[in-house]
Amino acid sequence: MASSVRRVLLGAFAVLPFLGALPAAALAAAPNAAVAQTFIKQSGDQLVSIVNGPGSTQAKSDKLRALVDRIVAVDQIGRFVLGRYWRVATPAQQQEYLHLFHQTLAYNITNQIRAYKGVTFAVNGAKPGPEGQMVATTVTRPGESPADVQWVVDTVGGAPRIVDVVVEGTSLRITERSDYSSVINDHGGQVSALLDAMKQQISRIAAG
Amino acid sequence: MGIVKTSLLSLLAVPVLLAGCATPPPRSNQAAYEAYRQQNDPLKPANQAFYRFDNVLDAYALRPVAVGYSHVTTPAIRQHVGDFMDNMDAPAQLVEFMAAGKPRDAGTTLVRFLVNSTVGIGGIFDPASALGYRRVYTDLGLTLAGYGVPEGPYLYLPFAGPSDLRDASVLPAGLFLSATAAAPPSTGLTIFNYGSDGLSVVNTRANLIGTIDNIKKSSLDPYATFRSLYRQHRAAQLKTIDERDIATPPSWYPAKVREAMKPRPYGAP
Repeated sequence: MASSVRRVLLGAFAVLPFLGALPAAALAAAPNAAVAQTFIKQSGDQLVSIVNGPGSTQAKSDKLRALVDRIVAVDQIGRFVLGRYWRVATPAQQQEYLHLFHQTLAYNITNQIRAYKGVTFAVNGAKPGPEGQMVATTVTRPGESPADVQWVVDTVGGAPRIVDVVVEGTSLRITERSDYSSVINDHGGQVSALLDAMKQQISRIAAG
Repeated sequence: MGIVKTSLLSLLAVPVLLAGCATPPPRSNQAAYEAYRQQNDPLKPANQAFYRFDNVLDAYALRPVAVGYSHVTTPAIRQHVGDFMDNMDAPAQLVEFMAAGKPRDAGTTLVRFLVNSTVGIGGIFDPASALGYRRVYTDLGLTLAGYGVPEGPYLYLPFAGPSDLRDASVLPAGLFLSATAAAPPSTGLTIFNYGSDGLSVVNTRANLIGTIDNIKKSSLDPYATFRSLYRQHRAAQLKTIDERDIATPPSWYPAKVREAMKPRPYGAP
């Protein structure tokens, strides 16, 4: 009995350092359900109109990147994804990491545009979650089964922003964190190894 | 179910026998040791070997077949195939829900099986969903999880993919729970088993072509990414079962009390 209590306490202490890695923004009050739903509806409508609208892939991806910077808390997600290694990284590494994180996201958006041509979406509701309002949507692509996608909306810098995407119970930022921390772990805890891997990936995608 | 899975199961013991254990970092290196513990993947070298093996197999056999299959089928056809496979699995899930002490989900599974097997023409259609009995899911691993059995170390099984000690340990028992295991053995049944197992694998893979391609392309360490996705997905499945596990208020309860006991619809505060 006593040992199990001790284990729980030890477990709690083991988790504490990771809590410190959470973005300070998460502590701000999450927007209410109506605000979050309206935000996702408007953001989604803009996104769909760009993807399905006229213009070259390049023009679309420029527009999408600008939109994503407005509606997604990219810096906060980037910090969350790096987790406890954010503190291990030097200020210069933090800067470079965030730059590469933005770039990776931009390339991923460009790559996905064609696959999402003809996309439609519907907002189904919202409920509070541990990280913010969870807005449920159904995203339908031609030739694919409809997918249930949840958007986690939190207040960042005084405005609602997307801080996470949850599909089939899997969180995008937690998955990314496992991915990135695995690379760092495999290289003796060196953040520079992650930065190298990110650069390689970006140049690989850029090369087609 | 059946033979394909039986042959897979004989391979289950292999990762343990190979003794491809990762060497844990010394406890003095606290950060590295904590990271190792968090990964909970002591058989990582063996798991990674099987992951690479599966990847080659997938690239040269399963994925091309799935791509061909998705060219000759529509999403609707794949949906009906999926519905049929779900219905075949319903009797097993009924037993599992009952064993887990989830009467509401057990009832839902029973109604779905009865409706879909008859009105839904053997499960090809899913009219039960339209009646409000939406698909629920469980398996023996989740039943054990409900009893409080921890997931244990991560395992990557050849042919079967991501798993953990808890989920892998009940795979043999799952064979005896299948609907076709209850039927008297016959050549026709054996052929049907091979056919439906193969179709199920290809159908599932076809639905995941884009998803898996994306994960492999966008992640730096796909092995770690699939590991994380598997664990999150299992935790979410368990959470869904727990959230649905609510009492049904008897009809003679005061309306106010009944209202308070009702499950909250999505969107309610």
